[in-house]
Amino acid sequence: MTAFNFETPSRQSAKGIIVNLGVSTYRFIRGTIIIIGAFFIQYIRSDKVYDFTTPKVIIPAIGFIVFMIVLSILRYRNFKFHVTTEHFVLKQGVFNKEEISVAKSKIQNVLIKQNVLQQIINVVSLAIETAGDEKTEIEITALPREKANALKETLLSHQNIERQEIEIETEVFFKASTKLLVLEGITENHLKSFVVIFAFIVGTYRDLKDFIENLNISNQIKSNFNLDDESLMSLLLFNVSIVIVILILAFLYSLTKTVIQNFNLVVKQKKDDLEISKGLFNKINIGLIASRLQTTTLTTNRFKRALGLYQLKFTQAMMNKKQQLKFNIIGLNKIKVDELLERFYPKALPLVENHKPNSYIIYRVIIISLIPLLIINGFLIFAPPYLYLINVPIVALLAYNTYFTYKKLYYSIDDKYVVVGGGALINTTTSFLEISKIQAVTLTQSIFQRRRGLATVEMHSASKDLNIPHIDMTTALNIKNYLLYKIESEDKDWM
Amino acid sequence: MFTNSQIDITTLPKLEDLKLEPISPKYFTIIIINVLVTYLSFIGALVVLKYFIEDDDGFHSVFWYIIVVLILASISQMIIYKLGFKKRKYALREKDIIYSSGYIVNNTTTLPLNRIQHLEITRSFMARRLGLATLKIYSAGESGGDIAIKGLPNAIAEKQYAHLTSVLNDRV
Repeated sequence: MTAFNFETPSRQSAKGIIVNLGVSTYRFIRGTIIIIGAFFIQYIRSDKVYDFTTPKVIIPAIGFIVFMIVLSILRYRNFKFHVTTEHFVLKQGVFNKEEISVAKSKIQNVLIKQNVLQQIINVVSLAIETAGDEKTEIEITALPREKANALKETLLSHQNIERQEIEIETEVFFKASTKLLVLEGITENHLKSFVVIFAFIVGTYRDLKDFIENLNISNQIKSNFNLDDESLMSLLLFNVSIVIVILILAFLYSLTKTVIQNFNLVVKQKKDDLEISKGLFNKINIGLIASRLQTTTLTTNRFKRALGLYQLKFTQAMMNKKQQLKFNIIGLNKIKVDELLERFYPKALPLVENHKPNSYIIYRVIIISLIPLLIINGFLIFAPPYLYLINVPIVALLAYNTYFTYKKLYYSIDDKYVVVGGGALINTTTSFLEISKIQAVTLTQSIFQRRRGLATVEMHSASKDLNIPHIDMTTALNIKNYLLYKIESEDKDWM
Repeated sequence: MFTNSQIDITTLPKLEDLKLEPISPKYFTIIIINVLVTYLSFIGALVVLKYFIEDDDGFHSVFWYIIVVLILASISQMIIYKLGFKKRKYALREKDIIYSSGYIVNNTTTLPLNRIQHLEITRSFMARRLGLATLKIYSAGESGGDIAIKGLPNAIAEKQYAHLTSVLNDRV
């Protein structure tokens, strides 16, 4: 079958020592960065010059490095794995011995990853994900790529024996060029990054203040700080320029993030399944198995749609959150999107009938919109009256947002799928869920909804929920009865 | 033969016609005790803090306000629990299990029996005294979709558990 023999216990590549060392050094630094930083600052503050070349410092330092190296070697020596007919067995541990055995049938997914260090020494890491239990995290950190691929095949071989034959049919479905990724990055929702950077700046405000004081800018500002109308204007200008700087930073941040995370995005198709690989520094390789697919969300925004760019987000059963987030394909055009949707949700589109939720959602969005409005006006109390004009564009923006939130909301249920559309001013989303994948259905009704005879239907899947918000109680009950009837009468496997 | 006739929604089994069973009234005692324990430990911690903190930073002047707020909060929480207690109901149908609860936000979750992953009965210290149990029914749902019927009399919990287990065993 393969050139590699996995039946006898074997170690990973000897380069694993380097990876082990790298990982433990990284963990050590991450764990003690605060202490080291504190000592360093102390050292700089005190004017003492300490001689680092005395044996008192050098011997423990060398001892520590030797200890780390020895530990990495021991860890490598004690790390052995093999594959029996039904199990994957891993023995590890220097002081605490551990033997993990995973039934092949329980293996959900095999991930092949590569971080910077691994890229330099040309090895990959192979992680095994199992059903349910989140604690069993199995990772072999240093394998040559061919061996890792062979092991992945061996581990997943039970899932369908025909896989070997189909192997040849693997073909590239989609490849994103760097130009496309840059376009995607430019049209990202920069407001999100804006909030992240804003929070970061507020968090590090004290440090920033020190920094600015050192630059002697603050003196200039302080001298202008005699609260007359003119200096208020300059203060305002200062704040506006800060906002603009943050906006530019946010733009660059989301642009580089998009490009780095999706660098060299390649989607390959294998019979029903997809294989996605992407990433510049952290190369990831994920398999999307059709039977495990839960929800799919099609996202676009005004700018992206003008450029014909769409994004598909998938969630799979038994995946942890971190991977769910990364599970998207960006830069797709309309044809590719339709092709993928048709593959996973045959005949779901075009929708038979769109239904609108109750207009109660408009009141809700208006009430939520009042919060930022009140906060902004709270700041304006002390400002000169003409600044109240800022309310005009904000109210217009919130009004548009409310209008589009309602306009974009709809749901559709046929005999196989639930489709829910949503979005706000800029974004538009369409979510798909197969009825047979629903685990449980909840009707929720808040006291505000009760007064109006409304309810929300929550459909729980094995990875993400899908909600139909604010519909009439009778419709909600009908939907729930219908969904339960479908799940209970068909008795289809959800995985 | 494959058929695909239209389904008349009005003929489907209706959730709204179902008579839901209330849980044991004794469970309210446990709720009250839980609320009291939570708030009393808060108040206790504040009283201890009062002895250790000197009256420089104005802690003593707000001390009684905090205590009053905590007492009011505990009373309103108990009232909400009292109002919501009637809403804690469950029902077992041939093919699914239903649990409803909540006053401010009422949730009615229905879990089809063919989606059950595993079952669990737990009894807290107080529940053991009162002969009550919690029946937990897990689906593979990631966020929500699990049911925990709290305050079932022991005998009923055991019976439900046995019934559901037999359904699970028949399924395979």
